[in-house]
Amino acid sequence: MNKVHDILRMAPVRTGLKAVFVIALLVELSGCASSADPGAMVITSQASAKPFPERLQHAMCVRGVTGGEETNPLWASKVDNKGFQTALSSSLDGAGLTASADKCSYPIDVNLLGLSQPSIGFDMTVTAHVNYKVYDPSGQPYLLETVDSPFTATVSDAFVGVERLKLANEGAIRTSIQTFFDKLHNPGENK
Amino acid sequence: MLGKSLTRGLIVAGILCLSACAAKTVTPVRISQQGDGELSCSDLHQQIAENRLEAEKYFRKDKQVEDQNVAKNVAGAIPVVGLFTVASTDLSNEEQVKARALVDRGEHLAYLAKQKGCTE
Repeated sequence: MNKVHDILRMAPVRTGLKAVFVIALLVELSGCASSADPGAMVITSQASAKPFPERLQHAMCVRGVTGGEETNPLWASKVDNKGFQTALSSSLDGAGLTASADKCSYPIDVNLLGLSQPSIGFDMTVTAHVNYKVYDPSGQPYLLETVDSPFTATVSDAFVGVERLKLANEGAIRTSIQTFFDKLHNPGENK
Repeated sequence: MLGKSLTRGLIVAGILCLSACAAKTVTPVRISQQGDGELSCSDLHQQIAENRLEAEKYFRKDKQVEDQNVAKNVAGAIPVVGLFTVASTDLSNEEQVKARALVDRGEHLAYLAKQKGCTE
């Protein structure tokens, strides 16, 4: 009799726990996707960083970005061309690489090949695949580089899945731009 | 009854969340490769032709994957089962990444062929 009484007493607690779990999962799985924030994809140069080759300083610009995708709010977060271009231009600015108006001698073309995203997950790792093409003043390729850059966002970064995916996208692009900058320091290495 | 199934489905989805459906590892072809400068005209033409065929194959496959993803997303509206279909969506963009990389590589090889004065 006591056992039955105990079970009956615990029933509302179990129901409550179930409800909390279900609500937590619904929050985790729901939400509207938003596109990557360009400000969150900008890299900041460190004062101690190795300087870029002199000919590149104040001589570069982003001529074009292709391959980006607009975000469908009902689907997954993406990175669009404009956002990528803004992030890369701001990063060039911060590194002292941006040319003054009409004096761009090392234009950059970017092709965002795609983002490899997980469909669902606790730790979400997104890998950005990007081709960077830099040309010299005579129009010859100065640097052609394929960069694959993974970045993982965890639940401690964002609990809601769509937000976590957005953070992983932004991190992957940030890492990609950083890798590209590293290559600019030593363009001959990979030729 | 439906409430119980829904709860079970969500618990399974939760386990899926914990286990993380990681994206496939995708390795696209490098746009520029060591030894490109030493390729002969016939090597260049052969690689350009092969890349073109492969890129077309990947673009076709990419379209199929996209169509499947749309279908899975629509099926996502079905209670319980929908969670599994959404979890099985392929967002790796493998075919798209590989196809675009092959197109860029082809353009670079075509540039090299032009620089060498290769004729078709």
